[in-house]
Amino acid sequence: MQAVQRFGLWAGGAGALALAIGAAIAPDRAAANLLLASWALAGAGLAGAFFVALSYAADATWVIAFRRVPESMTRALPVAAIGLALVFLLRPSLYPWTHEPVGAPGSFTRLWLSLPFFLTRAIVYFATWMLFAAALVRNSRRQDRDGDLAWTRRNRRLSAAFLVVFALTCFLASVDWIMSLTPHWYSTMFGVHNFAGLFQSGLAIMILLVVWLRESGPLRHVVTDEHLHDLGKLLFAFATFWMYIWFSQYMLIWYANLTEETVYFLPRMRGGWLPLAMVNIALNWVVPFLAIMNRPFKRQAAVLAKVAVAVLVGRWLDLYLMILPSVAPDAPPFGAWEAGGALLAAGAFVAAWVWMFRQAAPVPAQDPYLPESLHYHS
Amino acid sequence: MSRHVFLGIFEDEADIVAAAGESRARGFDIVDAFTPYAVHGLDRAMGLAPSWLPWACAALGAAGLAFATWFQFWTTARSWPINVGGRPWNSLPAFVPVMFELMVLSAGVGVVLTFLIARRLGPWRTPDIVDPRVTHDRFVLVLDAGASDPRVVRRLFADHRAVAFEERDMEGRP
Repeated sequence: MQAVQRFGLWAGGAGALALAIGAAIAPDRAAANLLLASWALAGAGLAGAFFVALSYAADATWVIAFRRVPESMTRALPVAAIGLALVFLLRPSLYPWTHEPVGAPGSFTRLWLSLPFFLTRAIVYFATWMLFAAALVRNSRRQDRDGDLAWTRRNRRLSAAFLVVFALTCFLASVDWIMSLTPHWYSTMFGVHNFAGLFQSGLAIMILLVVWLRESGPLRHVVTDEHLHDLGKLLFAFATFWMYIWFSQYMLIWYANLTEETVYFLPRMRGGWLPLAMVNIALNWVVPFLAIMNRPFKRQAAVLAKVAVAVLVGRWLDLYLMILPSVAPDAPPFGAWEAGGALLAAGAFVAAWVWMFRQAAPVPAQDPYLPESLHYHS
Repeated sequence: MSRHVFLGIFEDEADIVAAAGESRARGFDIVDAFTPYAVHGLDRAMGLAPSWLPWACAALGAAGLAFATWFQFWTTARSWPINVGGRPWNSLPAFVPVMFELMVLSAGVGVVLTFLIARRLGPWRTPDIVDPRVTHDRFVLVLDAGASDPRVVRRLFADHRAVAFEERDMEGRP
C-alpha cells in the first residue's frame, strides 16, 4: 500500500511539474487544466462525504463493511482547495468576468461575480465541506474505541444537515467555478449535471478501491459479491441519471434555440469537439448501461472494475468539455498540460486517499451494525 | 394432474433456507417454497434457474422504444408534416422524452402482465393456499414425494426445526 502511495506522489508530482512548466508557456491552458484537476478532486472528496452521509441518513448498514473507503476519499478536499486557490489567486483572468464585468453596475450579477465575494464564497464552501467531513470521520473513528451507538446517532443527525448543505453548496460551487467561465450563459441544470457526474465518478472510484482492497487483503472476506452488486446497481443508476440530466439540459436548449443559450453548446458541437461529445456520452452512459445491465455482471469484480475505469475516463472528458472550450474554442487541445492535469488529479487522489486510509482500522470493527453489513444479501 | 408431496412447515426463514439447501444436496426434488415475504438466498438454496423475465422486460422496452420512435417520425414528418417554429421535420431530440417514457411504460407494465399471464394469475383465480399461515408467519417447503421414504424426509425437516410435517396430494401448481 505504501508503494501505491509513493507511486501516487510521484505521478502527482510529475503532473504538478508539467502544469508548472505549462504556467510559463501556456498559462491559460495550464490554469484550465489545474481547474479541471482540482474540481475533479473536490468532486471525489464530496462524493465520499455524500456517500457516507447518505448511508447514515438512510440507515443503510450494508455500507459499513467498506465505509472507510468513502471516508478516506474526503482527504481529496484539502488537496483540491490548494489547486483551486492557485487558479483563483494566480490566474483569475481565466474567468472572463474578471476583466469584462458582467451585468449593470450595482446589479446582483455584478456583485456575485466580483473577485472578493467569489473568493469568500469559495472559502465558505470548502470550510463547510471539510468541517462536516472531518466531523463524520472523527465520530466514526471514535466508535472504533467504544462501539457506542451514540456515535451512529450523532452522525445520522450530522448527515441530514450535511445533505441539505451539500445540495446547495455543490450547486453553487459548480456555478461559480465552472459555469462562470462562460459568464453570459446560464443553465439551471448545470449544478445537477455536475452533481450527477461527481457522484457517478465517486461510485466508480469506490468500486475500484473496494475491488483492489478485496484482492490485496484488508477487505478480503469482508466485502462480498453482494456489496459489489449494490455498488454496481448504484453505478448503473447514476450513469443513467447522468445521461438523463445531460440530455435534459441539451434538449431544452436545442429546442428553444435561443442565441444566449445555444452559445454554450455551439462551440462544443463543432469540428473536433463533436466526436468528443459523442465519446463522452459513450463512456459515461452507453458503456455502463450495456455492460452492467444484466445482473451477473454487477457481481463480477473484473467487469465492474473495467466499467469503472471507463466511467473515470468519461468523467475527465466530461469536465474537459465543460472547461477547455472556454480557453481553446477552435479545436480540442491535447498535450503535455492536459496529460499533466490528469496525472496530477489521479496521483494526488491516490496519495491522499492511502494516507488517510492507513490512519484508521480498515473496517469499523466496533460499529454496532457491522454484522448486518457482513451478512448482507442484496 | 395430482402430485404426491411432502410439506415441511418452518417458523424461521433461516431454517427453511437451510432445509431447502440440504434437500437439494441430498437429491430431493423441490416443488416450491411458500413464504410470507421474499426470503433472501432462498432462490439460490432451492437451485432456481435465473428468471427469464428480465429478458422479456428488455424486449418489451426495446419494442416500446422502437414504436415511439417510428410513430413520432410517422406523425410529424411523414403522414402530416408539421412545421414547429422552423425545426427540422424529423426533430429527433424532441422525440426522445416520449421515446423514453414509452420504453419505460411498455417495459414496466408489460413485464407485470407477462408475469401474471405466465403464472396464470388473476382475479378469477382461486388460490390454493398450501397453509393459511404462509400469508402470515410460517414458511412451507414442498418436496416431491417420488419414491422417497417419508421417515427420512420427516427427519430431514426435523433436523432444521420444522414445526410440522405433512404428506398430501397436490393439484397441479398451487
